[in-house]
This record gives sequence, C-alpha cells and structure tokens, in this order.
Amino acid sequence: METSTETRLTPEPDATEPLLRMRGIVKRFPGVRALDGIDIEVRAGDVHCLLGQNGAGKSTLIKVLSGAHQPDDGTIDWQGERIRIIDPQAALDHGIATIYQELDLVDGLTVAENIYLGHERARWGVVARADANRSAAGLLRRLGHPEIAPATEVGRLSSAGKQIVSMARALSHEAKLIVMDEPSAVLDQHEVRRLFGVIRELAAQGVGIVYISHRLEEIREIGDRVTVLKDGHTAATGLAAATTPTSEIIRLMTGRAIEYAFPDRPATPPSGEPMLAVSGVSRPGEFRDVTFSVAAGEVVGLAGLVGSGRSEILETIYGARRSKAGSVTVGGRRLRAGSVGAAVAAGVGLCPEERKSQALVLGESVGRNITLASLTRFARGGFVNRRDERRAADEQVAALDVRPSDVERHVRTLSGGNQQKVVLARWLLHDCRVLLLDEPTRGVDVGARSEIYTLIRDLAESGIAVVVVSSEIEEVIGLSDRVLVVSDGAIVHDGPAAEIDEHAVLDMVMEGKTAA
Amino acid sequence: MSRSRFLRTIGVVAAVAAFAAACTSNEAASVQTNLGPRAVSSNDEPGKEVVIGFSGPEADHGWLAAINSTAIAEAKRYSDVTLRLAEGTNDPSLQISHIESFINQGVDAIVLLPTDGAALTEVATKAMEAGIPVVNVDREFTSEFAARTTILGDNYGMGISAGTYACKLVEEHNLGPDAVIAEIAGLDSLPLTQDRSDGFKDALRECGQKVDHRVAAEFTVESGEAEASNLLQAVPKIDIIWNHDDDQGVGVKAAFDNADRNEFFFIGGAGSANAMRWIQDGEMEATVLYPPTQAADGIRLARLLAQGKGMSDLVQVEVPRRIVLNAPVVTKENVDKYLPLGFES
Amino acid sequence: MKTDIAVASEQPDTGRRQPGFAALFSGPAGRSLGLVIALVLLCVVGVITSGSLFMSFDNVMTILRLASVIGVVSIGMTFVITGGGIDLSVGAIVALASVWASTLATQTLATDTHWIVMVTTALLVGGGCGLINGLLIAYGRMAAFIVTLAMLAGARGLAEIIAQKQTQVVTVDAFVDFFGADVLGIPVLVVIFALVSIAGWVLLNRTTFGRRTLAVGGNPEAARLAGIKVKRHTTLLYVLLGLACGLAAVMLLARTTAGTSTHGLLYELDAIAAVVIGGTLLSGGRGTIVGTVLGVLIFTTLTNVFTLNNLDTSTQAVAKGVIIVVAVLLQQRVAARNGST
Repeated sequence: METSTETRLTPEPDATEPLLRMRGIVKRFPGVRALDGIDIEVRAGDVHCLLGQNGAGKSTLIKVLSGAHQPDDGTIDWQGERIRIIDPQAALDHGIATIYQELDLVDGLTVAENIYLGHERARWGVVARADANRSAAGLLRRLGHPEIAPATEVGRLSSAGKQIVSMARALSHEAKLIVMDEPSAVLDQHEVRRLFGVIRELAAQGVGIVYISHRLEEIREIGDRVTVLKDGHTAATGLAAATTPTSEIIRLMTGRAIEYAFPDRPATPPSGEPMLAVSGVSRPGEFRDVTFSVAAGEVVGLAGLVGSGRSEILETIYGARRSKAGSVTVGGRRLRAGSVGAAVAAGVGLCPEERKSQALVLGESVGRNITLASLTRFARGGFVNRRDERRAADEQVAALDVRPSDVERHVRTLSGGNQQKVVLARWLLHDCRVLLLDEPTRGVDVGARSEIYTLIRDLAESGIAVVVVSSEIEEVIGLSDRVLVVSDGAIVHDGPAAEIDEHAVLDMVMEGKTAA
Repeated sequence: MSRSRFLRTIGVVAAVAAFAAACTSNEAASVQTNLGPRAVSSNDEPGKEVVIGFSGPEADHGWLAAINSTAIAEAKRYSDVTLRLAEGTNDPSLQISHIESFINQGVDAIVLLPTDGAALTEVATKAMEAGIPVVNVDREFTSEFAARTTILGDNYGMGISAGTYACKLVEEHNLGPDAVIAEIAGLDSLPLTQDRSDGFKDALRECGQKVDHRVAAEFTVESGEAEASNLLQAVPKIDIIWNHDDDQGVGVKAAFDNADRNEFFFIGGAGSANAMRWIQDGEMEATVLYPPTQAADGIRLARLLAQGKGMSDLVQVEVPRRIVLNAPVVTKENVDKYLPLGFES
Repeated sequence: MKTDIAVASEQPDTGRRQPGFAALFSGPAGRSLGLVIALVLLCVVGVITSGSLFMSFDNVMTILRLASVIGVVSIGMTFVITGGGIDLSVGAIVALASVWASTLATQTLATDTHWIVMVTTALLVGGGCGLINGLLIAYGRMAAFIVTLAMLAGARGLAEIIAQKQTQVVTVDAFVDFFGADVLGIPVLVVIFALVSIAGWVLLNRTTFGRRTLAVGGNPEAARLAGIKVKRHTTLLYVLLGLACGLAAVMLLARTTAGTSTHGLLYELDAIAAVVIGGTLLSGGRGTIVGTVLGVLIFTTLTNVFTLNNLDTSTQAVAKGVIIVVAVLLQQRVAARNGST
C-alpha cells in the first residue's frame, strides 16, 4: 500500500485524512437493527475488503453508502467533510459509485449507452453518439479492456464483460470511491485475475475500493485492509489483509472457531458396479467422447475452466441437452437422450449452476420448492395431499438443517447456503441415486460452505453417486474421491483426488487450453 | 420435442379445422340483393361506359354490410358501369389514400361514405377540382365544395320520427303525462347517436314527455343485451322503449325475453329484417327506417352525373345537390311494403 | 420453526417478506381482502343510491348473469397469466365459437339430434383455437403476444366469413330453454359461473396441474430442470383457456339468443384487467381465482350501479377509471398491512 502511494496521480491534500469515514452508523428496520454502530475508514488508493456472513449487514451498509437507505444514526465524513447522502444521485455527485451483484445494466443498450445512462452525452437533447463512444472507449482503455467495443450491445457480453462496463460507468461519474458487491461471484478464475488487474490499476490511480467477497483467498490477494461485520456490528476494522490469519477472520465472522475444511474421505474409495456410466457422449462444439463412471457412494469432481464444457457435460447427462452420440446409463438402464423427464424418473437430480434462475421458483415457498420434482408422489388423481406434502417438506428441512426451518417462508428470503440446501432437499425427497452438482457453493458464505461440504459427503455415504463441478480447484480436489480434468471439451485426466494437487490440475487446465 | 412431430401436429389440426369448416358452412345465409320497388325510367337504358370508384368504412356488420352489398349489387345491374371497390377501412388516412388513387386512375365519379366527414373533406375537394364528381353518402363533409351531391339518411329525423310515434302511443293508450319513456342509444361517442337522441328528445317535448332513463350500447348484440338487462332492473315499469339500432336490438330483445318483460311498447331503429319480422309477429311495436340503400342510390346518381344526365322524375335536367332520405316508421300496418328493404343484421 | 427468530433478524435486506399464512398451505383469501372491501363499498353505494332496487334478488341475479360470461373467460385467463403467458385472442375465439355453434348447419343438426351438438361445437372450436395458440407458443417458440394477436385477427375474420357478417339467431328452443332456465331460482348461467369458479380454484390450488402452473410461470427453466414438461403444460394452459372461451360462447349464445362475429369485443382487455386487478401477477408465478372473480364482480356491479342511477356514459367512463385505481390501491395497502404484521 505504501508503494502504491508514490504512483498516485493526484495525492490527497492531507494524506492522513481518510477518503471516507463512517462512525456509529445505525439502521433500523421494523423489528430489526440491521446496522448497530458500524465504524469504517477507507483511504484513497486502498482496496478495503468488507467481510461478513449473510445477514451481517454488508448489503445494508452498501445501501447506506450509495444513498438507497438513510441511516438512523451516525456520521459520514467524505474527504474530511460531514455529508449526508440523501439519495443515489447525491452519492454519485460526491463520487461514490456502487456496482451491485445483480448488475444494473440494460441488455438492449450498447456499452457506451449503458455507461452514460442517466447522464447522457447530449447536445440539445440529441445524444452525441460518436462523442459518447469515444469517451467510453477511453474509460475501457483505462480499465485495461480496450477490446470491448463501445457500440456492442451489452446483452452480448459475458458476465465479466458486463462487470467491466459497470466499472466504466462508475468511472464515468468520476468516482473516487467504488463499492463492489461480490464482483467475483459470476466470474471464473481467469476472469477474476483480469478483474484484479483492473482493480489494482484503479487503486494506483488513487481510487478507493470497497470490495465485498465471500472468498477469503481473493481477499488475501487483492485487499489492503479488512473490515469484518457480524450481526450489524463492526467485529474488527483496519486489519491487514495480507497477514491476518484465516482462522482469525473466520472466528471474527462466525463468532466461533471453525475449521474451513473438507470432510474426510473414506479410507477405501467406494467401488463396485457403477451407478452412473457415461460412455462416448459428444456434443459437437461443446465436448467430445466423454466417458467416465461413478460408483454408488462415490464423489467425482469435474475441474475445468468456464467454457471447457464441464457444465454442458452435466446438463447433457441430465437430458437438458441432447447428446449426439454415446449413452448414459443409470443403475444399468440406459436413459433416453435429451429427456429430462427420463433422467428424473431414473433418479437423477441436478443442482444447476445458476441457482436462482435455473433451480428455484423464487416467489414460492421453501416447501413447494422442495416438493416440486416429487409432486406426483403426494397426489392422487391429480389432487395434492397437502398434509403429506408438508410432512415430507418438514422432514427434509429438519434433516438438512435449513434455516429458518419454516417451510412456508418464501425461498427468496433465504441465504445462498440455505437456498442450496433447498435444492438438495428437492432431490433427496425424490430419492435420487445420482446427484449432479454444478458450482454447489457459489454465493454461499464461508460459514455455510463447510456445512454444504459435509452434507455432500453424507449424501454420498448414503449411497448416492455424486458428480461435482466447480471453478474452485481446491474445492474439486478437497471434496472428491476422484478428479476428472476437462479441458477444451475433452477429459484429459481421471485419477484419485488424493494423488493430485491444485498446481497439477491448473497446469492441465491451462495446457489443454493452449494446446487446442 | 422434435420439430417434425410439431409440424405433423400442426398439419393434423389444420386438416381437422378445414374439414369442420366445410361441414358447417352457412348455406342459407345470402346477401339480400333484391331491393324492392324499382322505378323504371329511360335512364336505365345503357349509356356511356363509366368507371365509378366506391369507398366506405369497414363493414363489420349489419347495416354497414348492407350498405356495401346493396351498392355493389346496384352497380352490377348496369352494363355500362365498372365499379372500382376500395377495401373497407375505419382508418381515415387509409381512406384518403384510396381516394387519391381513384383520382390518379381518373375514374369518372366517386361515391364516398367517409369514415369521418371532416377528415375526408380535403381529398374530396381535390377530386372535385380534378373534375371528378363526388357523391357524398351518409356522413357529411364540412365544405360545400367537396361534393357534387350529398345523400343523407336523417339521424335527427329518425329521432323525430321515433319521438313523434311515441307521443302518438302516449295519446292513444292514455299513458298520461307521467309515462315512463326509456332510450337505448348506440355508441355514444358518435355524432349520429347524439343526433338521434336530440331528435327523440325534441319530439317528445312537443307532447310534454321526456326521456326518463337512458343507456348507451355499442351497436353489438352483446352490449344491447347487457345494457337492456341493467335498464330493466333500474326501471321496474316502463311504458315505451326506443332502441336506436336493430343490430343491437337482437340482444335487447333477448334481455326482454330473459326478464319476461313486455309491458312496454318496443320501438326499434334502422329497420333490419329481424325487426320487421318481429313487427309482423306482434313482438315489436314499430321501427324507424334508416335506409341501407343510400350508397346504392349514390351509385345510381354517380352514374347519371358521369353520363351527364338528370333525374328523369324531376323537371330539372341536373341531379340535385342534396337529397335527404325520409325516416318513416314501419308498423304492423305497412311492414309488408318495407320488408324487402329490411337488411339481414 | 420456534428457534429461528435470531436467524430471521439477521436478514434485514428482505423487507418484502411475505406473511407465512399467504404462502404454502393456505388459500389466497387474505390477499384479496382489499378487493372484498372495494366490492362491499360499491354495494353500499348501490344500496344508498338505489335502495331496494339494488338489493332485489332479481337485480343481484342480473349482475351475476352479466358477470358470468366474462367471468368464465377471466378464470381461464388466470391460468394462462399465472403460467407466464398472455392471450389477446379470447374475444375473437368467443366470437368464432359462438358463430360456429349457431350456423344453420349446426343448428339443423342440433334440432334433429340434441342441443348438446351446439355446446360440443363451441367447445371444440374454442379448444382447437387454444391448441393452435399453445402449440405455436410452446413448440413454435413464438411470443405469446404475437401468436394470440394473430389469432385475434384470424379468428374474428373467420367468424365474419362464416356468419357472412350477419347475426345468427338461435332457433333451437331446447338450447335456449335449458340455458335460460333457473335452478332453485338461480339462473343456469350463474350456476355455470359458480361451478367454473370452484373448479378453477380447486385446479389451481389443490392439484399438481395448478402447482405446476405456478412453477412454470414463476421460473420456467427451474420447472424444466425439475422434470416438468414445460412445453406440454404451456400448451394445456392455452387449451384450457380456449375451452373456457368455448363455454363462454355457449353462455353468450344463451344470453343473447344469437351468434355473431361482434360477440366478445374487447374481452381480452376486460379479462386481463379483471385478472390483474384480482392480484394475479402479470409476469406469472402467482395467481388467485378468488381475486379474479372479485375483479369481474367489481366491474359488473359498477356498471349496474351506474345504470340504476341513470348516469350518462361519459360520467361512467370517468368513474370507472377512478374506481379501478382505487380498488387496486386499496388491495395493495391491505396486502402490505397484512405483510407487515
């Protein structure tokens, strides 16, 4: 941090005065004190990481900072001046820009139009397109992404590209402070690296960054200082990101000491007749000749970059995509290709990558989401027996320790980890024999991750064949009995997880990429 | 789901639909073309070949459909008339473009029933200036110079006829000054509806009566039924009901039958064949005629104008500038005479 | 369930939490409280201004009879909208079914055999149109808005062709007698409306079909990945609505004793309005039959009260606009209050 000060283009008038100082921020909602005295200081050129479990108050704090919420108590000093942020426009006027997790971009507009949305470059009401495109290109260059054309429609960009556009929009407001809410949640490792490059660049230019993430390893890499929130309080602030031990941070977040660890593998790996056998399955342009099998009770991990075909393989096994060759058998019986119904009937369950858009009916209750795939079991002549349905849902909620344990609660209000448990519960209720998990811990906070890991291992031990896909190589290795490495649509490695480490996998992943 | 299976399904559906349509087509319904008494005159002799352009509103039903079909039938009667038919429309700007293309084609005369009199005035004036006589039917232009001849049904006159007949009923049946008179109007936003209502009101005033209850339907059977049902609930005892339009009258009558109400005299409007049959059967007291033959008359006059002839029954050698058709009351006594004029609604 | 207060309080960002009772295992009646209040207010106005006239049995039956046709269509529409779709062609389908069921050929056949022929014809035509809509939307992957807009034009045009733009009076006396009759003093049309409402409620709230409708409307991708046949289900929803339109056509034939291509004008707007005012989400995933029925009743009662008071049509139009907004506001306020306590 000290070294970056020297490269700053515009040093702050008083180097000791922080860019932002929030003191004793309180925010009450009916019946809840969401924020109960938050203190935080952010310096110009600093990447300040905000950590906390779901519900700790991170989102509320961001909303106070962006002007979406008004604090009930406390003070905000901005560049040494006492200010009130009365609405989002006021925040932008001060130079505080927020990039939300659900990116607020308009897909149908171009990159430049999105960047200048709300403060269009216009003369006499006519948008000056060329001018806007030119300055947008400048901003994108500053972010190290000159390859994004300002005239491209935003809907055609990847998640990573959209993130960059959001940051360019923040810069277009001449932001001195950029708040980023879990920017890495939708990116793969490669994209995260590039994002970090951008963040470092911005920090070097004297912009303050508030960075929110669940991933401790990221914070180590990009952060300067750390503030940990717990239950609306500041548990600790100003910790050095590089040197504070992980166990200490987890203790601060959870209030208890837990091991961020994977459950033990069984000493002798499960073997016997394969429960799931995939043979020579191909989809031109996505993956080819994929062959592997999973025994009952075994956890097989699929490692690979986004775009390597790993998610497509899962969806093809599930019948959501139709394979052009090969076969999938479950318990010795071949599945009809391209039929989700056949897969579900054979006892295959999928927890898809995008939990909210692909797995959950957000407007419905926990209970109804759990019973969605097994409705016919509770129905006689098309009529649902609601007492049986409720009992079954209650049992699953209790078994998986979904919190809050209220089956009538809307699933939308649950944390990421508990939503994931609801999706798992759906397939447990269905008595599935093969469980396909795509990014099972995405958007799940640190405390809840271990729980999900333990749950997955318990499921395997109950005799289910499990396939896990994850962007986090550490997770694939830690969780699985056997690891498959997918690179450029082909399986390039199949071996016991105990005999391989992160670097070896990373090498294979990257190598295959370049070899292609 | 495979594409071929989808296409096959579509094919089967289409085939079934076509078969069913063939089975249930409406054989009996036919457009009424014989238009009653015809005066035979020397003008019927074939003369110079003329091209007449005809444009009217989109005829979705009843009276307007009859307007169109009678006009076409009339043109067919003359071997010397070629009819250019513009597609019916309810969009004034589209109708303007129809008239413009008539001008460009250089037709000999134009018969125009405007969707909106004011909106079509300018293009009609243009046609006149180009030397093409325009016969304006039913809805009047705003300028004298836009038409050579104007043929109007008499909406105000309809109201007067209906009101006068109502007054006569009050007197004949001793209904007294407190007679309950109700009105079921047509689409209230149209000027013609206002004209009819004004005429009715004015005529009733002559005999010291007024409209006690008024509802407005939308010229459709369904709206007629709905409005009449509510009206019957609102007024437990009615002496006279005037319904502006016999198209919606089918629904109005259904509502009466449904509620088992017939204590009143039921007067209709426009003069559909249905209404005339009810009059014959004694289920309706009377209906006020609004002839659907205006456009047919317009075709005849346009032919005469294009051939440079006058009306043979008039001494004057030129076609008159303005003809307002009478709005007679059809009752049981004279229904046989008018039945051929009745249009199938 | 008892120990989750602390956890719940950790989630201040989910202020839009729905009350538990309205979610899984209870009916939607609580959510419709605002509409009930609006309807009651309307009735109070009717009683004050028209007294016994409004309260009379005959008048109440008149309101219900007028509500019955659009009511049946609206209940079908509730399913389509809840399932994430929209149908602009309902009015045109009603017109086509009414015309087809009252052609001379159909009526002659009905006179020779049984009036049920007319009913079957109307239902087949309605269901067939719905099937075409559904297939094109689900399997042809076209936007529901466009497909049903095309059906709106096509079906009404076909109705005009078949009827040759004429009103086809129903001459099958047995048909008119059956549907014009009373059951214990209640008109048959009202009985049909009541039965359809009950059946609709049961279907939406108590069956796997209804549950799947909610899932398909709420998140079609999640429904598909949970093993639900989304395309087939979507098609069935449009067929269901088509059948409702066919039934409505039969009822309209009975009410007006005539079939015509002008039947069902603007039904699409009336039905969508009733459904949305009732509280069904236009984007799908949440639907309420009770709300829809209340929405229809509010509209019909409104017109009745106006007519009883001899108000002119322009005043009616203005008042209608105001009352729609008031009804929806009331409904939202009451729902919000329920939600916060």
